[in-house]
Amino acid sequence: MIAFERRESAGWVAQSVAYVLAIVAGLIASVLLIMIAGADVAEGLGALWQGAFGDAEAVGQSLVAAIPLVFTGLATVVAFRAGIWNIGQEGQVFAGAMAGYWMSMQLQGAPAIVAVPAVVIAAIVGGAAVAAACAVLKTRFEVNEIISTMMLNYIVVYLLSYLLAGGPWIEAGSTAYHQTPLIADNFHLPELYGLHLGAPLALLATAAVAFVIARTPLGFELRGLGFNPIAMRYKGVRVATTIIMAMAISGALSAMAGVSEVFGINFRLRAEVLNGLGYTGIIVGMIGALNPWGTLVAALAFGAMANGALYMSVLTDVPSALVPAMQGILLLFVLGATVLTRYRLRFGRKEGRHG
Amino acid sequence: MAELLTPAILLSILSASVGAATIILLAALGELLTERAGIWNMGVEGTMLCGCLAAYVAMCETGSPVAAAGAAMLAGVAAGLVIGLLTVSLKVDHFVTGLGFNLLASGLTLFLFRSYTAGGKPAGYGTIDRWPIPFLSEIPGIGPILFNQHLLTYAAFLLVPLVSIFLSRTRPGLECRAAGENPEFLEAKGISVAKRQYGALLVGSALTALGGGFMMLAFATEFRPDISGGRGWLAIVAVIAGNWRPLRTMIAVIVFAVLDSLAIHAQGVGVAIPYQFFLMLPYAASILLLAVLRTRSGQPARLGIPFLRR
Repeated sequence: MIAFERRESAGWVAQSVAYVLAIVAGLIASVLLIMIAGADVAEGLGALWQGAFGDAEAVGQSLVAAIPLVFTGLATVVAFRAGIWNIGQEGQVFAGAMAGYWMSMQLQGAPAIVAVPAVVIAAIVGGAAVAAACAVLKTRFEVNEIISTMMLNYIVVYLLSYLLAGGPWIEAGSTAYHQTPLIADNFHLPELYGLHLGAPLALLATAAVAFVIARTPLGFELRGLGFNPIAMRYKGVRVATTIIMAMAISGALSAMAGVSEVFGINFRLRAEVLNGLGYTGIIVGMIGALNPWGTLVAALAFGAMANGALYMSVLTDVPSALVPAMQGILLLFVLGATVLTRYRLRFGRKEGRHG
Repeated sequence: MAELLTPAILLSILSASVGAATIILLAALGELLTERAGIWNMGVEGTMLCGCLAAYVAMCETGSPVAAAGAAMLAGVAAGLVIGLLTVSLKVDHFVTGLGFNLLASGLTLFLFRSYTAGGKPAGYGTIDRWPIPFLSEIPGIGPILFNQHLLTYAAFLLVPLVSIFLSRTRPGLECRAAGENPEFLEAKGISVAKRQYGALLVGSALTALGGGFMMLAFATEFRPDISGGRGWLAIVAVIAGNWRPLRTMIAVIVFAVLDSLAIHAQGVGVAIPYQFFLMLPYAASILLLAVLRTRSGQPARLGIPFLRR
């Protein structure tokens, strides 16, 4: 018989072993997938690596692909650490991008020094508002946030679909592509060393989230809420306010992912460039062990994978969908491996089973 | 809006609703069974998606709806095993497991679908035939709505009282409920909580995946990425709004199904309101429903709490 004993804190050895095991198991499963697809394993993985890290340009593109995932990953960290199951990153990314685009339409011709901050602020407000709405639904109306955030994902995505598919935001004369016209230069995020402003902002956000969670009263309340909400209530913490704050911050972070994709890379708003950033961010945050720096590392790895996948699908018979499948498998293995860190396994005979 | 209210369209909407309800109802009954045993399975959407792909591939390969339904249920059992391994055996948080499983299913089904169609488009198939019940289907009004449906639709609605009786009158059903309400008691009687939870999860997931399979057979002729489109989440909402009771869950399912069908018809008839707003209806309604119906008296006491044997 194997019995589980809860333990208070996991040692870093157990955690590292768990991660190595999960990554090895995930890689084996991915190799099996490539074999199922009927492609050459070495060729497929080689192309994935080449596309992700092959040369300086590939590395740069991998970094750019990682930027939005840092934001949505951090959004996951902030909410999940507080025990709030915000899975609305997808909709909050969309809401942020839409609010930012709306602002860019209001401020046409403004100088970049005004235009860029205005877009960023509008996006943050948009993303935070959608997330905070779900928090209010939770605190005031007892609506489970998993459900409200998920349902708002669908609603927000359909709203963008309405605005673009023949709606008011569609590029004049374009019916085949559901996209806005190109955004004027003054709204583009400034470019730095081949990356855009999103890169330093993502680093800054990581440090800020790490600082807030570890060192500030709000961070203490967030962690406490995730650990024992009832105790927090007795301690006099206004739980509802904390939940709304956590969700708003989480939504604002997701919104930044939308800003960096639309105003940093594509310079126009369309659904395809935002699809999946939120959902991948959930995996990134969870694989990053809900730790901001761990999330940064996971986002870099996932950005590289996403970038390499394009190259791989062009050069080999492996579909680019290998990457989301790999990421999902990796996540489940990491979840399984956390057992090693949260419980002490006790192997023994069946004694005491009924007592 | 008035275009939607002509008798012919209304009849068509209601008839389509009963069909659409089948998808969500099978998933909701599966989830209800699972939740009553104490597993708060959030992986419904992913399980449904697995059922969709399995039914699609089986239908393309064999052309037999029976094989397709079987394949969907097998995929559901596989999904249930993965979720059970994590939640029941490894005690991973139920929410986290479900969310993780959904993400896995979304990526994996997409990959398998792309691999399957890589060598060219498969032959494809037509949607399955309806099974009108003789005489009953000729009753004016309700006849075509209720009795000109698919075989699985009758089965799904028949399952509502059956699940109810199973949970309240049979030994295995009561043991499942005990696993969700008072697992220590069950263990003290020498009955394995894990076995009951696995049982509920496997049967429940098979039903959920069958819902996805039915969708592929009756409503679609081709797989698309994330084709389940949130119906799994609506099933979860239906269980909560139905206060974990089969009959009330069915009523919530019907509400979603009517709204779901409204969107399809609004698109066809050409209502002035953009169709995307109709597509939002079921999701908006689910939030509203949860905000209004706040009775949670039927919620199993130990729902979502991993059971640690002492």
